[in-house]
Formats: sequence, structure tokens, C-alpha cells
Amino acid sequence: MKAKFSEYLNTIAPGLKKLIAELDKSFDYVSVLATDSVGFTMSASQKVKSIRGNSTLMSERGNVVRVYKDGLYSEYSFNIFDCDKAVEMADKIRKILDRQLSVLKATDSKIYNTKKLADEKQELFVEMETDSMPEETDLDALLQKLQKFSDEGKASSEYVIDCNISAQSTHVCKMFLTANRDLRQSYVISEGGLSVIGVKNGKNDMAYNGLSGRKGPALFDEYEELVKKTCKELLDNLDSEHVEPGEYEIITTPEVSGLIAHEAFGHGVEMDMFVKKRALGAEYIDKRVGSDMVTMHEGAKCVEDVASYAFDDEGTLAGDVIEIDKGILKTGVCDALAALRLGVEPTGNGKRENFEHKVYTRMTNTMFDSGESTKEEMIASVKKGYLLSGMYSGMEDPKHWGIQCIVARGYEIIDGKLTGKVVAPVVMTGYVPDLLGSISMVSKDYVSFGSGACGKGHKEWVKVSDGGPYLKAVARLG
Amino acid sequence: MTDKIIEILKSRNIDAWEITDTVTEGWEFYFIKQELDQNRVRDVEHIVLNVYRKLEDGKILGSASQEIPPTATEKEIEKTVDELYERASFVKNPYYELNKKKVEVEKRSFNPEETAKAYIEAMQQIPETSTADINSYEIFAESCTRRYVNSEGIDVTESYPNSMVEVVVNARNDEHEIELYRMYNAGTCDSENLKKEIEETLRYGKDRLVTKPTPALGKATVIIPSADATRIYDWIGTRMYVSMKYRGYSDWEVGKDIIPGAVGDKISFKLVKELPNSSLNRQVDKQGAAIRDMYVIKDNIAESYWGERQFAYYLGVEDSFICGNYEVEGGSATEAELRCGQYLEAVEFSDFSVDPITGDFAGEIRLAYYHDGDKVTPVSGGSVSGSLLEILKNVKLSKEKRQFDNFLVPSIIKMENVTIAGVE
Repeated sequence: MKAKFSEYLNTIAPGLKKLIAELDKSFDYVSVLATDSVGFTMSASQKVKSIRGNSTLMSERGNVVRVYKDGLYSEYSFNIFDCDKAVEMADKIRKILDRQLSVLKATDSKIYNTKKLADEKQELFVEMETDSMPEETDLDALLQKLQKFSDEGKASSEYVIDCNISAQSTHVCKMFLTANRDLRQSYVISEGGLSVIGVKNGKNDMAYNGLSGRKGPALFDEYEELVKKTCKELLDNLDSEHVEPGEYEIITTPEVSGLIAHEAFGHGVEMDMFVKKRALGAEYIDKRVGSDMVTMHEGAKCVEDVASYAFDDEGTLAGDVIEIDKGILKTGVCDALAALRLGVEPTGNGKRENFEHKVYTRMTNTMFDSGESTKEEMIASVKKGYLLSGMYSGMEDPKHWGIQCIVARGYEIIDGKLTGKVVAPVVMTGYVPDLLGSISMVSKDYVSFGSGACGKGHKEWVKVSDGGPYLKAVARLG
Repeated sequence: MTDKIIEILKSRNIDAWEITDTVTEGWEFYFIKQELDQNRVRDVEHIVLNVYRKLEDGKILGSASQEIPPTATEKEIEKTVDELYERASFVKNPYYELNKKKVEVEKRSFNPEETAKAYIEAMQQIPETSTADINSYEIFAESCTRRYVNSEGIDVTESYPNSMVEVVVNARNDEHEIELYRMYNAGTCDSENLKKEIEETLRYGKDRLVTKPTPALGKATVIIPSADATRIYDWIGTRMYVSMKYRGYSDWEVGKDIIPGAVGDKISFKLVKELPNSSLNRQVDKQGAAIRDMYVIKDNIAESYWGERQFAYYLGVEDSFICGNYEVEGGSATEAELRCGQYLEAVEFSDFSVDPITGDFAGEIRLAYYHDGDKVTPVSGGSVSGSLLEILKNVKLSKEKRQFDNFLVPSIIKMENVTIAGVE
């Protein structure tokens, strides 16, 4: 079925166009992004359940006006709008932005002069396919299903004390308007997380897995298998030891490969960082940053997951960029304003946390290409090392190319065989080109993961996905 | 809008309900170097409705919540209320009561324009040099007014400020350039404190240029003097949070020692209603409960669980509340006395994280000082890691304290036997 576009947005579109026309009298460029995205979050566990409406990361209803004059872009975010009072709203926006300019004048602040965005005629109306809609979901039945999975997790072992399962689904509707452009899109994403908590011999631990897709709530049927996998991983963690710090051969599961992709050359090639001269990547275009086996794509079109849209929050159509081609860094990704400042084309990566937030260059789907090996061949090739599985968090340093990944566990490999010994948690650190340069085998698998959120610095949370195949590399573990 | 929702709830005899209506005016300025990249205004209202339904002769309380757009029509509100009342019957939790005690709050007002202007002026006064300067910064200044009203008779409105500056600092020499990242949260702009903090960051930046690889120390003594230490204290406080206890994720018991057999300084953790210029100073929490000062842990003995109404009711905790400010008492020795022997002073991590369930912590070292007698060497690379349940058995806290926004904590924490994965 098609994800139907928002009736509310269709209703306010004429009023917003009137607002644009009114603001056009005072500014050289005016755009409006209007959003009406609805969804639900529910959770089940052994002790407590909940259902919350419109509380997912992408649930929102509101508008943001972007205006341009004298080299400066300014924005006004609001969520109360009366179509019959567009003229009054335009006046209110002008007045408050003038007050901001007065503060800038009083503080003798200089403007970072930027060119005007183009505004060529363009229309787009996209209602993407979905298997089911969050608004039409039988929430009672879904909650009962989640509770059943939670009960199965709890019953799987005497060491399990709780099994938390969450499910979120959002029907995203966005409309981008200027004097000449009218873009509208509607799609559904769903995601969920499963955390199993256990205690054994006084030691607490947790195992986590997620689900995601540009799909409806039917996605949550996949929890059936995930419960078993996660419960087993919890038991692995409960029996784990700490890793002896040092450098090891590693094999990363597709989820950990995705974390590396995201942290290594995801943030590092967001080109608003090039404008601020915050990224070493700007100096490495057409230079080697990884082994011949490393090819990496980034873009809303490169895979179908939670960050796969038709256009970004500045009205740039979705793209698919090859960032690294056989180890050579080719390009980064770019929002529209950073593109103007750098003299390049935007790639469809201008994203906001929601209508209340500024646009930054952000990742969408960041994926390593697959290769020719099998996971079994890769394990057999390891003399001494670990198969790293499950991710907790990551952090990058685009200026210095340091990387930190906190991985849930490592399965020991000695002489090509898994020994059954588990270490957890595992802190993987290193220098990005060393890590990518050490990649010596790549599996045939190709899987994306999008259950988490990505921040810029420590804020501006947006949905992204990442992944790829199993990778064999060398890394420092602690 | 909120009054209209209340009218509809009352007309339908909903068993219990609560509404939170928050109006925010935010001023934002984004700078690259000292040039304005963009200016923004946020003018928004968010209304969240919770509907409760008594089930199974009152033994069970169902609940469901939803944000209602301020543009919703009367018909849309009625539809939402009806849907939530139906959904509440699916969500069956043991019965609990909403807060009932009336709360009085002092009326205050804040001006985001003044706060934003003060931040711009403060940032212009940072002493930059050719080798250490500001790369970029973002200013966020808000005035918020939150009304909480419930079916039990609480109707309280509180205004509060919130602000944040994100700063990226560069330092460079002939060979390379590095950056350090900071996020300073506060109520309003404290110019002097901000300048002091950024000047410290600029010093760290210069030191980071001349680091050597972190030695593979194996197990070592680590001192943390930065805001990263608040992650450790946050974990300690969270272990006493009612939901963690009720769910069985924490085994700490009121009246018992949190770290049996500990030989270091004892932990005293206190909830504090107000700290100077904290971004989380509130008179009433988001569920309508009055906030007050209260010990959670005193001298390593757990004194009280704390937190949200539902789980507090289940645990029988009276007058519980959600608090955003915390104070940790200092130890017996001064900072100077604790800075002795061989130790690694870690001042910058990529991300210092603590697992909420296990207490395992880890962070990649971006800048640390390796103290070996009188010799101090700036180092970077590698990581620190360990288990707080083990580390807290022998931890030392300085007598002196330092405030990091909503945390007032010992100026340094000294930990023994921390695992160091070096790169040398």
C-alpha cells in the first residue's frame, strides 16, 4: 500500500505559500519545511508496559521558515499557524528576526557571507510503498505480541531477570515549499530494540539487538528470532572475561562494520565540517585512506532503511555517493549551504533533528560494499584474535582521525577456530587509516542496521543506518 | 488549548489524567570563527496528555499518552482523548496514584535575548592566539514556561531559563592542528565562568599538540578532574532510581552499604533543588511533585530511592520526586594531597561512557598527563576501562569541589587499578 500524504499539510499548503509570498517582499530567498509525522512507541517488559503516541524521534508537527538577505540565512521555527493570518505571521517573523539583527549590530558581529540558494521550478509528490501503517495498527494485539516475546526471553534462562522490548513506528510526511518549488513526501519507518538483562554470580549484564526498516509495524514479527539470539548473547556476556589489552586480528560482524563506517568516514566527510576546517578528510580527497578492499557508499538511496527518503530537509533530492573507492577517498557528503560555500553540488544530506533544529550535513545510510569471502573463511584465517559482535557506542575525531568503538563482546579465535571464550565489553580504538588500511578480507554479506540515532557532537539526533559485510582487520582492543 | 483539553477530559469522566504544556522561546546564533553563520528563533508549544484508566476493580491502572499539536481542533482533541482512553485499557500496570500535594512556586521571568547577547559578548572576549583559537561556536538561549495540571487538583506553572554553548577549539603548531569539543550548559550566561572554562580548554589544546603515545601501563591509578567524572556520579545516583530498583536492575538496598568492604572515601550523594545557575533548577518536577534537597546515599549507606511517581508508589517511597541537580560530598584529603605518586590524569576522552547496568566504563584518551614523580608527560591514544563496582572499593575524592552545570562534585576523583590500553 501507499503511505498517504498528510491531509493537514495539504490543508495548510496554501497558507504557507501565502506566507512565502509575503516574506518574499522583504527577503531574497524564502523556503518553508512543513512536517506532520505521527507515530507510536510501545514497550513491554516483565514489570511495566507503555504506549506513547507521537513520541518517536521523527514524530513532529511544525514548520520552519528559512530566509536570506545580505549574505545571511536566518530561520524561524513555529508550530502554531493559522492560514488566514499568513500576513500577520510574516510580520511577526520579520520583527523578531530584526530584533536578532539588532543584537548582532550591538555586538558588532560580522556575517559569514554566503551566496543565495537557487530556486528553480520543481515539483515532486512521493507516497512510498509500505506493508502497514502505524495509524492503523492494532496496538492491543501488538503489545500482547511484544509481551509474549518478553515472557519467552525471561523464560529462556534462570539468569534472565528482564527482557525489554520496544517498538516504534512513524509515518513521516514532509513538505518543502518555495516560490517555485513544491516537494511532498510520505513514507513509513519502524524500529525497535530488545535488551535482555541478567544476573549470574553477582554479575549484572545486558545484551541488545535492534530492528529497523523503511517498513510498517509488520517489521516487529522479526523479534521472534531476535529474542533467542539476544538471550544467548546475554549468557555469553555473563560468562565473559576482560580482554587483555593489545593489538589483535579482528573480524567484525556487519553491525560492528557499520559502526566503523559511521565513525570512521561518516562524520569525517560531512562537508559542513570542511567549511569549518574541522575535518582532515578535506586534505585527503583522491588519497589512500584504506586498503584496496574498502569501498564505501553513503546516501538516502544506497540502501532501503530508516534514512531512505526522497528529498532532504532543504529540498535536495536523495543521493548515493561513493565516498571511498577501493581505498581512495573520493568525496564527502554535503548540505545545500555548505555546498554553496564550497562550490560543490549538494548530495541530499541536509537534515534536521526536527523542524525546531538547524540543518547540518548528516549521514543517511553509510555502507561498506561486500566482497568475496565467507565468514567461515575469515575465521579460519585468524591466528589469534576476536570476532567482535554487538555495538554499544562509537565516537570519532574528524580532525585527528582517532576512533573509539565500544563493542558488546568478542569471541576468541585461536588458530582459525572459535574457542568458546568470550571477552566483554571490548573498547576498540585506533587511527582510522591504520584500521581501514588493515582490512584484508571482506565477506559476501550486506546488512544494514538503523535502530539507533546519531548525534552531531553531543546533540542533533537523527535517524541513520549503517552496515555492510563482515570485515577482517587489525585493531587495538582494551 | 490546555483548558479546552481539560474541559473535554472532564466531560468524559476520565478516571485520571495529567497534562504538561511547555511554551519555549529560543534564540540561537551559530558562528564560524567570529562570523555569524546563521541566526534562528524557536517559538513553539508542546502539549502532552496522559490518560489513566482504572481496570480490574482498581487493581490495575492503564495508561496512554500522546502529544497533541497546539493546532488541533476540538474534534481532533476529542478523538485523541477517546483513543487514549481505549489504548489505556491495553497497558495494564499495577495501580498507582498521581501526585496530589499542592505545590506553590515562585514566579520568575527570563529573557533569551539578553542571555544570547551576553554569550556573544563573552565569546568575543576569549583571548585567542595564532596557535590556539575558537573554530566555531553555537549559542542557544531559551525561556521556558511549563504548566503541569492533573486530575488530582495540581495546577502549577513554572518559568525557567535554559542555555547552552557548544564550542570547538583549535590548537596548532607547525606540524598539525587538533580540536577539542565542549558543550557548556547553564541557566543563563555566566560570562566569567564561561571564559575561565574555555581558557582551560585552550590550554589543553596546546598540550595535546605535544602528546606522546599513552604507555601500556596495564593497571594504573587514574585521576579524572573533568566533567567526565559526572558520568560516574550519575551512575551512582541512577542505581538508587526507583525504576532501576523496581525492575531489579540495581541490588542496592536502603539502609545497607552500597560498596561492602570499601576502603576508600565514602560516597555521599545528594539531590539538590538549586545549584548556582544550573540549567536544571526547577521548583516542581514534570509530574507535579515539589523538589527539595535530599540525601540518596550518605557515607556509603543507601538512604532513599528517588524518582518518578509510578515506581516510587510501587516501592512505597513517600514524597518522591525527579531532580536534575546533584551534589557529591568531598573526601578527607585535599586535591594537592591526592596528587601524589605515579598516576594518569585523564582530561579529554573521545567519549567517556558508563554502562548503566554493569557499571563498566571506558573511554579513548584524547589527552592525559602521565605523572611520574616530578615528571609530567602529556599523552594521547589508547583507552581507560574498568568496572565501577570494583573501582569504587578504593576511590579517593578531593575535599575541594567544582560545579559542572547540574553537578557539584569533588574537583578530582582518584581511582586505583584502572585498565590502561596504551599505544606505546
